[in-house]
Amino acid sequence: MSSQLIFFILAALSIMSALFVVFSKNPIYSVIWLIVCFFSIAGHYIMLNAQFLAIVHIIVYAGAIMVLMLFTVMLLNLNKATEPHKPMLYKLAAMISGGLMLLVLLASMRSTALGAYASPAYTESGYVQNVGMVLFTEFLLPFEMTSVLFIAAMIGAVVLAKKEVH
Amino acid sequence: MVLEIFNVRKLIVPALVLGLALIFGLNLNDWNSNQSFFNNMVRIDNFSVAFSGLAIFVTLLIFILATDYYTDDQNHISDYMAILTFILVGALMMFNYANLTMLFLGIETLSIALYVMAGSKRFDIRSNEAGFKYFLMGSFASGFLLFGIALIYGASGSFDLSKIADYTIQHQQNISPLFYTGMFLVVFAMLFKVSAAPFHFWAPDVYHGSPALVTAYMSTLVKIAAFAAFYKLMSTTFFYAFEKVAPVLAISAIITLAVGNLMALAQTNFKRLLAYSGISHAGYLMLIILTAKNQTAGALFYYSLAYALSTLAAFAVAIPVFKAAKSEDISAFNGLAKKNPIHAAALSMAMIGLAGIPPFAGFLGKYYIFTEALQSDYFYTTLIAIFASMIGVYYYFKVIIAMYGQPANEAKMEQSFNYNLVLGVCIVLSILFGILPGPILNIF
Repeated sequence: MSSQLIFFILAALSIMSALFVVFSKNPIYSVIWLIVCFFSIAGHYIMLNAQFLAIVHIIVYAGAIMVLMLFTVMLLNLNKATEPHKPMLYKLAAMISGGLMLLVLLASMRSTALGAYASPAYTESGYVQNVGMVLFTEFLLPFEMTSVLFIAAMIGAVVLAKKEVH
Repeated sequence: MVLEIFNVRKLIVPALVLGLALIFGLNLNDWNSNQSFFNNMVRIDNFSVAFSGLAIFVTLLIFILATDYYTDDQNHISDYMAILTFILVGALMMFNYANLTMLFLGIETLSIALYVMAGSKRFDIRSNEAGFKYFLMGSFASGFLLFGIALIYGASGSFDLSKIADYTIQHQQNISPLFYTGMFLVVFAMLFKVSAAPFHFWAPDVYHGSPALVTAYMSTLVKIAAFAAFYKLMSTTFFYAFEKVAPVLAISAIITLAVGNLMALAQTNFKRLLAYSGISHAGYLMLIILTAKNQTAGALFYYSLAYALSTLAAFAVAIPVFKAAKSEDISAFNGLAKKNPIHAAALSMAMIGLAGIPPFAGFLGKYYIFTEALQSDYFYTTLIAIFASMIGVYYYFKVIIAMYGQPANEAKMEQSFNYNLVLGVCIVLSILFGILPGPILNIF
């Protein structure tokens, strides 16, 4: 029962903080609410016995990406409301296309017969050890190829950002 | 891949070319081997060997062009070469994948390296725009792809292509809606990557803004890789769920053909023209995706080959002309026939090949595609494609008319052995395969 209670608290927290992200006038507040949102989602992962995912989520999203976002917000100095308002037509188009996507997804989710809720208490697939086992046996090649991807991205970043006399 | 560490700048390109030639040979060695590696993460079969061979060959030609293209930019050549090689690695993953995670990684490796190359002229605002636009739109498409893969995993419980196909066979009556949603998301992402309408808006700006060599690479290797991956997905994995997605693909093919050809009529910039021509060729190749059920890989390979050869030949003439004229408009070609008759003739041949007029390979490529589409009862779609290819002739001839009909401009074109080599190889192969299509067409 207590785990259900924790779930409801976490769910309410993550939905509320996500709403605050959207509705905050000040972009810095948005970013900080986003951190709260990420932490509550990490809480969900722990509830589902996915410790590895939870930790990675906190390190990558709440750590690295949030810092990046904060820096961007500060550098861009978005505090002043200089952003021009988009024409009504664009808003309408964005709303319709977003709504259609939501409709399609909801419709497909609704007609999906999801199995009965199975308690995740005894699955151990989310433990760091097990994730590591799968990653280095079955998914060895994708794992290695990810490093190629990162090298490509790193060289790319250096190429684009290197100081140069022009 | 290790060759990037080379410090001696002059040696980089020859070393890479040599390495690629070796890989080309090694790759051909796998012909008819048909085996899978790493827990069925990659699967080597004739399809992947043939396309890998084509990709390596195209990259080889591009690297030969690169020697002269980057003569003024020696400081960066090692970086650029490394990134171009990574693009090839991504493309090879896209030919050989047997698992959706590998497909995603391949597409990402290819795209991320490409975003950088598109923006690699850092002090040119157009190049910046190209890189940034491509990056934003491309990452959005990658998001679609990833979400689609996740939903397919949710429905079928596997990333493995053959296991997903098994799932669709076993559950023919009650395939989960999650699967269809995921399939459509994946298909949309692939449509974006092949620049088919209505997901084509990035292509003209990106092709226009990128450095000419990168545009050449983009319009040959990247397009072929995306199409081969798309074909593999449609012909093996989504085989039994094909009926649902076929109308979408057919509509997309029709819009792509119309948009590509009609918009190309109005272009004055050569790279933009080739971008729209690339979109229209994507439309023809979409016909093959539509008929993927009938295992039409031979036609796909033949058309990709013909398209790549013609496009590369066009760029092998265009790059030195642009350099001399300092402009990338079609008017840069004015009067080329008087100054460099051989180059003008070669470019004309490339354009005629792209337009699909015999004896070049482009003609037979189109012919086989139309035959396959008609055999699969896509009558109206094929009719539109035939009309579209007639419109196509007009804008390809705009370039030829500029070369032969207009008075010459001042700019003098530098001659270079490497460009001429690539040009010669492309034209000769294009004619050769146009006359003798048999060995390539029946390769599978």
